[in-house]
Amino acid sequence: MSSFHSASNTNTALMAERVLDQVMSAGATGDLIVDEGETISLKACEGELEEYKVSSSRIFGLRVIKDGHIGTAYSEAVDADALKSLVGQALNNASFVKIESHENILPNSNQLKTDDNLLCPQEQVSIDQKIQMALEVESKLNAMDKVKNVPYNGVQDIFSQRHIFSTAGLNALTRSRMCASYAYALVEDGQKTAMQGTSQVSRLFSELNASSVIENTYEKCIGLLDGKPIPSKHYDVIFDTECQVSVFGVFSMMFSGKTAKDGINPMRNKIGSAIADSRLTIFDHPLNSDGFGYHLFDAEGTATEKSKLVIDGCLQTLIHNSATASYFDTHTTGHAIRGPKSTLGVNLHQVEIARGTEALSSLHSGEYLEVTDLAGLHSGANAISGDFSFGASGYLCKNGERIQAVRGITVAGNFYEMLNKISMIGNQQSWDEGRSALMPSIRFSDVAISG
Amino acid sequence: MLNSQTAELVIDHALSLGADFAEIFIEKNETNVVSTLSNEVQSVESGINFGIGLRLVYGSKVLYGYTNKADQDELCRIATVLAAKDLRDPVSSTKFFNFNQPTDIHPARKILSIDAEIKSKVAYLMSADRAARAAGEKISQTRGSCMQREQRIEIFNSDGLHTNDGRNYIRANLMAIASDGTEQATGSWNDGGLLGWEIEAGINPEQTGEAAARQALVNLTAKPCPSGRMPVIIGNGFGGVIFHEACGHLLETTSVAKKASVFHDQMGEMIASSIVNAVDDGTMANEWGSINIDDEGMPTQRTQLIKDGQLTNFLVDRIGAQQTGFARSGSGRRESYKFAPASRMRNTFIEPGDAKLDDMIASIEKGIYASHMGGGSVQPGTGEFNFSVTEGYYIENGKIQYPVKAATLISTGPKVLKEISMIGQDFSLACGMCGSISGAVPTTVGQATLKVDDILVGGNA
Repeated sequence: MSSFHSASNTNTALMAERVLDQVMSAGATGDLIVDEGETISLKACEGELEEYKVSSSRIFGLRVIKDGHIGTAYSEAVDADALKSLVGQALNNASFVKIESHENILPNSNQLKTDDNLLCPQEQVSIDQKIQMALEVESKLNAMDKVKNVPYNGVQDIFSQRHIFSTAGLNALTRSRMCASYAYALVEDGQKTAMQGTSQVSRLFSELNASSVIENTYEKCIGLLDGKPIPSKHYDVIFDTECQVSVFGVFSMMFSGKTAKDGINPMRNKIGSAIADSRLTIFDHPLNSDGFGYHLFDAEGTATEKSKLVIDGCLQTLIHNSATASYFDTHTTGHAIRGPKSTLGVNLHQVEIARGTEALSSLHSGEYLEVTDLAGLHSGANAISGDFSFGASGYLCKNGERIQAVRGITVAGNFYEMLNKISMIGNQQSWDEGRSALMPSIRFSDVAISG
Repeated sequence: MLNSQTAELVIDHALSLGADFAEIFIEKNETNVVSTLSNEVQSVESGINFGIGLRLVYGSKVLYGYTNKADQDELCRIATVLAAKDLRDPVSSTKFFNFNQPTDIHPARKILSIDAEIKSKVAYLMSADRAARAAGEKISQTRGSCMQREQRIEIFNSDGLHTNDGRNYIRANLMAIASDGTEQATGSWNDGGLLGWEIEAGINPEQTGEAAARQALVNLTAKPCPSGRMPVIIGNGFGGVIFHEACGHLLETTSVAKKASVFHDQMGEMIASSIVNAVDDGTMANEWGSINIDDEGMPTQRTQLIKDGQLTNFLVDRIGAQQTGFARSGSGRRESYKFAPASRMRNTFIEPGDAKLDDMIASIEKGIYASHMGGGSVQPGTGEFNFSVTEGYYIENGKIQYPVKAATLISTGPKVLKEISMIGQDFSLACGMCGSISGAVPTTVGQATLKVDDILVGGNA
């Protein structure tokens, strides 16, 4: 992939210069995001390679600001005519939009570049080795007791690059690589069936471990095969890391300066107030390079830093880009997000919840429900009101021991109220499978379960 | 978009590498989205997607690659990379391309390439906002959008197929937010179709605003939903998402061929209550999930999935036909050139019956009337599904008692199909986006209001 980098980047910089020259000639300012990627994706079926996908892609996304009006346009066609049309479309779109005095191209002429050795390490690995792993995961899982098949599985090697240019002179480049292996197996025992899966990611293919994907997937499937509903009542609940990260993700708009500006963030007037149990502390930590949410800079080229979101249950700040910061008369927190096809927004990079004090023995004391699978995460949640109702599976546990597999239940409540119903926070943190967030186990009390 | 000579050279090259079948899918689409926040234009976004997907088939193995570049060298390079592990002597040769222009059964007039009609869309959304606000003082905000897309596709394959098609999509929606100072609730309305902005003539902005506001105001007063197993009446239109999730996905050969569907070996068997008749139909004029040809170039069709409770057809794409032996149903679909096609739904619905809503409600001692449904998901291997209720009411002693919030319906496809006991007459369709193995494609769901005798309702009362 190295030849792709050098040839493509020279070309990209020249095209970006032409685009931004046209923007300035029209009396506007602007910034241009160029996303490029190369992916190899493999899937196996019954011991044979079923799908082999290779791709290369490039997309230009332009934002222009003219007389206070903002317009965006994107193009995957990058010939001279297409790029000229890109500028014309963005300017035309801007002419219909209200004046937004808070959104400007930052006077940022930094030359920024992430460390390829850290985020995009190279290694000698052949396509044969990747195929071998795809086949191994599928065939070994398929051969295990009660496994009917492994309908969804794969190995991926994804290289992605983002280049941001602006009329102020910003030139920011980040490249990253992600290798992944995943498998979802269907197990069957008479009339009983269960389908579960796990995944693993790494920046190096050689660090992927087929055995652990096989073992974790099998354990998850077999564990839930005998699952059945439990009586409807309120239980103490511990979400596994995967589910807990998902639930916090669904309600992450509670930190958004953009939704606060739009008037729909229920936390918009609660900065400085207690919004959660006093033992809960939440950061956004984009500079932790162990995770895939690592960001050295945001979509406006602003340097990122570790942000204190909630300290001892008290909301410290909302997250901002330069426009929402200007609206609230504060500083950007380096949380600007923008894709080539989207307008400027804000988003968390990599959430970290501080570890608590409880050892596993006390966290797992007495009866509680361990939730290991949630369904309907987006359709079943209303981030504005906090209400949610999800399908769930897991285990009824007693003193750390799984005493019954549970399926066919729902877990429901109000997330913002649940933040005040924290019973305990564990003293160990762990990453989710996608390494997007780092959290300790949290035990919530009094959660409505229907079975 | 790609000249025939280049296509022939690329396909010849792919076949020279030993592929059984080769296909080139070229796509260019233009999109425009107008978004409003209350009575202001929040953004206007537009763009062009362009790319080419190349699919090679060796036996049951699919090799797929895509690129944004349209030159012969790049396409041949991708073919060579894809085939590197499967090289063998040629087993077939390209047939002479026979261009076939499909009949346009979904004509559109006000299409994006003629005029994005931004002023007209803004006026529509502003009127809808005013109507929503007029519906009640507690409506604090609206969010509206109009998305319009013009997709052009061209397909060549080694069977000699050369065809192209144009698809014009339009979708409008409005979300209203109601607030009483402490709590917020939402309501929404949306409509769309495979046509141009002429859809405006059939969507009244006042009705749009009132519908979204009414739901938001109802939800603001909703109480926590009782939970447990109970009968549920599922509303018409988007209520059809239950069939889409519980059954439709399980009838796609993508799942059937892998035996990852509970229905994979039940062709001809009774899989539903005898009053259930279900159809997947790509031919319905200008409907959101309609097509002229599928993304493998086959003319679309109407496919009867279930007749009087009996499974009669699967949804079959080219690879699915090869793997299962069932005939293709023109169901090979993909989000874009970035995906290999897979068997997917189009306009999928349960046909209407003769029951009345009042009779359904009167028949329930304790249950839920889910008049409007949200999205959901299904696990094809087990048929387990969930979906959310966006507007629901608690029923007791045959009467509606009060609105409920945060309700989820949980069951399995095979079970719920057999639990349908009454189907109404008020058939309607609703549009949505369906995400699956070949990306997100426009699909329509539909049904008349129907009663399911036993579903697990998740609530927090």
